[in-house]
Amino acid sequence: MGAWHNADGTLDPVKVRAAYPILSTTPGGRPLHYLDSAATAQRPQRVIDAVTKYLFTANANPHRGAYTLAQMATDGYEGARARIATYLNVPASELVMLGSATEALNLVARSWGKANLRRGDVVLVTEAEHHANLIPWQQITREMDADLEFIPVDDVTGEILWDRLDSLMKLKPKIVAVGHVSNVLGSIAPLTQIADAAHAVGALLCVDGCQAVANMPVSIPTTGADFYAFSAHKMGGLFSGGGLWARADLLAEMAPIETGGDMIRGVRLRDADFAEGTQRFEAGTPDASGAVALAAACDLLDEFGRDKIHAHESLMLERVLRELPEVLPDARILGPRDASQRAGLVSFSSDLVHAHDLAEILNRHGVAIRAGHHCAMPLHEQLELSASARVSVAPYTTNKDLDALFAGLRDARKVFEG
Amino acid sequence: MGGMDDLYREQILEHHRRPHNQGSLTAPSVSLEGRNPNCGDVINLQLQLDEAGVITDVAFSGRGCAISQAGTSLITDELRGKRVDEILALGSPFVMELLGVEVGPTRIHCALLGLETAQKAIASLSSK
Repeated sequence: MGAWHNADGTLDPVKVRAAYPILSTTPGGRPLHYLDSAATAQRPQRVIDAVTKYLFTANANPHRGAYTLAQMATDGYEGARARIATYLNVPASELVMLGSATEALNLVARSWGKANLRRGDVVLVTEAEHHANLIPWQQITREMDADLEFIPVDDVTGEILWDRLDSLMKLKPKIVAVGHVSNVLGSIAPLTQIADAAHAVGALLCVDGCQAVANMPVSIPTTGADFYAFSAHKMGGLFSGGGLWARADLLAEMAPIETGGDMIRGVRLRDADFAEGTQRFEAGTPDASGAVALAAACDLLDEFGRDKIHAHESLMLERVLRELPEVLPDARILGPRDASQRAGLVSFSSDLVHAHDLAEILNRHGVAIRAGHHCAMPLHEQLELSASARVSVAPYTTNKDLDALFAGLRDARKVFEG
Repeated sequence: MGGMDDLYREQILEHHRRPHNQGSLTAPSVSLEGRNPNCGDVINLQLQLDEAGVITDVAFSGRGCAISQAGTSLITDELRGKRVDEILALGSPFVMELLGVEVGPTRIHCALLGLETAQKAIASLSSK
């Protein structure tokens, strides 16, 4: 099974930890229990090595220059694109490499949206969306005088009410934009069902895949998505980096929103012809080293096996869902109770201990969790919460990390119960 | 663990559990919502001023972490009887002294929410 697995083929997180140097550091003098991978995943040694190797042996400006080294730089960059495309099971020719998932979603809204939305057209998003899959749609619907409508959430659990989908489709939306996995609720969206409902009324489906791509197998063609955005740093790549897969015919029609070098075919003083394909959307010198890093991260995640990552993370989440109510009885768990409907994370709130105080006390135990609104303020408003605490897991999360989490939670309860 | 005991001293927890000056005023001179956009802490602060610019009454409601709510509770106790210029001159050392603990960079915005909201409310009055 290779270096990362138990004899029975399951992922061994203790072996996996060896790939991530930061996990053996002791910030603040305490062993690190990193439970904030949904915010950013830790970086494997191999990713950094790949960047170092690329920059020390193949560094030149990609797509330019006639010399051998420049060709090596181009090959490295385009090879990385091909690797990332394979990871998502899409053709490299349909994968636009960008700076972030935010940039990708802005590209869809500002390019496709600007060309296709008319006055009174409907864009449908969920009330649970990350700001990156909400604000670009707010902006473009305002600009085009179109309407933004919402798939509601349950006021108590926050669960997205997908059963409203059919009736909302009577609004005849032009596009439906949803997160593949909610970054607060942890729930996996039923993408094929959403895609079918959207396509039946002629709408497109735009998916924010940030919380899915590192935590579970994702084959974009089977999701039914027409656009799919993702972020490199949530997968173990560098902070800069992300991408957009778009259906070939949609990509061919889309206008670039950033213009400049490297995205042109010919330029005259007063106008320019743009390059074909993905290059049209990649103005300026690309972040080739970021792409190389992400390709290396994809290699490692595939060595772990994404089905095995998902299985391991589900076990971790199951334990959190089971023990949390015992340790913190007033914990209000957001999203589905069933770990099998989740990927990567559990968020909760407590009237006894506010999320910030929880994060502060957990920090004394070396446990890093996220406290706040997680870039989903409207969802928290809907739930009448000012903040929630989010525990997120990764291939390197162990039961020891969860032991530390629960020890910290017990401590927090003791402090606040007085 | 000493740092935690400092931050969650009984005085702070007591102000968090039973904040002083909770509620609203019948005829406030100014009301202002204060927010920590990164954390979601929120308070609604109301001030009553006399003609000489002295705070005669104060009330707040809010939700958020213990540090933000206790910090606001503690500062509201201090506002009554102070002139607006005195309040505008206050800074984070004053709040740290009230809390009795040096709050680190990750929580300083929570600690200062009450004072900063009061100062913004006063500034909005003088610009009217």
